[in-house]
Amino acid sequence: MKRVLTVALALALSVSVLAGCASKPSTTSPATSSAPSAGVIKIAVAGPMTGDNAEYGKGFVNAAKMMADQWNANGGVLGKKIEIVQFDDKNSGEEASSIAQKIISDKDIIGVIGHFASGVCMAAAPTYTENKVIEISPSASHPDYSGIGEYIFRNNTVIDVEAAAALDIAIKDLGKKNIGIISIKTDWGTKTAAIVKDLIAKQASSGAKVVAHEEVMEGSDDYSPAITKLNAAGSDVVICVGMYNLIAPVAKQYKQVNPKIELVGFSNAYSQQLLDLGGKAVEGVRFPVIFFSGSTDPKIKGYVDEYNKRYGSIPSALTSQAYDSTGMLLEAIKAAGSTDRKKVRDALAAIKYDGVTGMTVFNEKRDVQKTFVKVIIKDGKFEAMK
Amino acid sequence: MSGLTRNCVARVIIQQLFNGLALGMAYALIAVGYSLVFGILRLINFSHGSIYAFSAHMALLFIGMQFGVIPAIAMSIVLTGLLGVIIDKTALEPLRKKNSIPMAALITTIGMSNIIQNLLMIFFNTERKPFPAFFDFGMIKLGNLQINSTQVVMCIVSLALLILLTLIINKTKLGLSMRATEQNAKAASLMGINTNFIISFTFFMGGASAAIAGALISGYYQIVYPGMGFMVGLKAFAAAVLGGIGVLYGSVVGGLVVGVSESFAATFIGSSYRDSIAFIILILVLILRPTGLFGKKDIKKV
Repeated sequence: MKRVLTVALALALSVSVLAGCASKPSTTSPATSSAPSAGVIKIAVAGPMTGDNAEYGKGFVNAAKMMADQWNANGGVLGKKIEIVQFDDKNSGEEASSIAQKIISDKDIIGVIGHFASGVCMAAAPTYTENKVIEISPSASHPDYSGIGEYIFRNNTVIDVEAAAALDIAIKDLGKKNIGIISIKTDWGTKTAAIVKDLIAKQASSGAKVVAHEEVMEGSDDYSPAITKLNAAGSDVVICVGMYNLIAPVAKQYKQVNPKIELVGFSNAYSQQLLDLGGKAVEGVRFPVIFFSGSTDPKIKGYVDEYNKRYGSIPSALTSQAYDSTGMLLEAIKAAGSTDRKKVRDALAAIKYDGVTGMTVFNEKRDVQKTFVKVIIKDGKFEAMK
Repeated sequence: MSGLTRNCVARVIIQQLFNGLALGMAYALIAVGYSLVFGILRLINFSHGSIYAFSAHMALLFIGMQFGVIPAIAMSIVLTGLLGVIIDKTALEPLRKKNSIPMAALITTIGMSNIIQNLLMIFFNTERKPFPAFFDFGMIKLGNLQINSTQVVMCIVSLALLILLTLIINKTKLGLSMRATEQNAKAASLMGINTNFIISFTFFMGGASAAIAGALISGYYQIVYPGMGFMVGLKAFAAAVLGGIGVLYGSVVGGLVVGVSESFAATFIGSSYRDSIAFIILILVLILRPTGLFGKKDIKKV
């Protein structure tokens, strides 16, 4: 995620520089236009609605609207209608700061769901903090983001929690001790691999150890030299720190050499492409995800079906986190019993929310600790591990 | 490599040698394409990497149409050969007729490369697509050693094709015409050789050998995408120059040197340095022997 975000931010910055003054002020579209302003509670959704990352921003809006509609159908919150107002930050920091100014000037807006990239979130966060507007980012993963202020929350896990979940699969579920690591040489890959190594060192008492670590260039198709080394070092399980385009070829090439090897990936490998590209070789590959759309849990299934009916697509993990973020904010307003910013913030900080992305509780840093769903590839499909 | 026994280290080295040989043979097949065209036209055909990517996509397309793997590859070989001819006829031959500077032709091939790659992106998407492992017979065990049958097949097929190419050039009439054209195109045409046909034929052979390499490498990695020819093309070019461009067996040796050194660089220095090693070796060789390992001295018009 970190890597995606960095790239996204870089792109957005360059785009915004190029676009310069041509950028139009973002459009606002009220979900329920008939409601009078006095009787509404507004929630802003800010994210990239145009450009490369538009699918994320649009997912945020879709999810927030769906949640708001459900509340509105039950009489809204505190007897008022909920209105979702969307802002296009083009995933750019400058754009986000001016949007933040716009948002704080509208006193009906209690909180913001967004922004998308960590850097963009961090550009807008000081403005929100000063003006006591709650910001919940469903996607920011930078460690420093939520530390900016009391009103800044995130509903996304930081990478070490996910790394621990991946290790849990390798050590506890698979019962392997000789761990090999293959990681892509990017900021995200190098950092994640270091975290994984750290975590293994901490559980040295269980007998688990890193037997080999290979860094590879992302997108090189031939991983056989790295695989030969990992295999010679006696790896029983290999943790693949990369996207699907690492795991699929590694699985194919590794299983030619050693069909018994177990592979564990990360949530960003969770993609149809992994199945298409990996074929039989990725059978048995496991990884942790925050949100598993194929879940048989009636609550999640109902949500996925409803989303699919409304928007014609399956919600992603980030979209689902935006959905839960909106729900949490509304729940907090309800619990506070008023729209007083301070009270809502305190209610939110104390919330225990059982959403589609699992039980969410904020810690003292306003980060979330989520339980990961473990997914395994079985018969060419993703399945939740039992 | 601490923590490994000496026996284990030896095994890793031998296995890496095989990884490198298989890769090197494939580079050699692509390098031959550079060499063939360079030999006759004194032109570096930079569209060769894209031609290689094109061949893999064609093979994938025909396999998808249920033609069976071998017929699909055969069709891809013919089509890719024709693509080589088309590139020559549409873009390079007009330039030759106008006696334009060699640089113009060189830039044209780079342009062609981009056109082919972009067309592939439009028609096949940029994403990586799976390719069947059509020559995987499992692992071959030799005592303590495990050798990947795919790599063995790659080596054997490439070697057989390179021998076939050498025979065509050295033992057939067509090959004689090619060599004649290479030495002096004007004199050859005075002797009744249809030099335009020979040039087309050379492009066809270059394309066909790239197509065979494309099928082999795609079957080995089981991945196909439009950008696949870029790095491989550059490394094969390095291999061709390393061995002495224009000399077929030089391309083979160059390819093997590049492949094996890449594999060993990945083992002993780290996988992240493997891509640069081919070029480091190339620069060193060119400083010591400007014409490459087996190159002829009489190259003037580069």
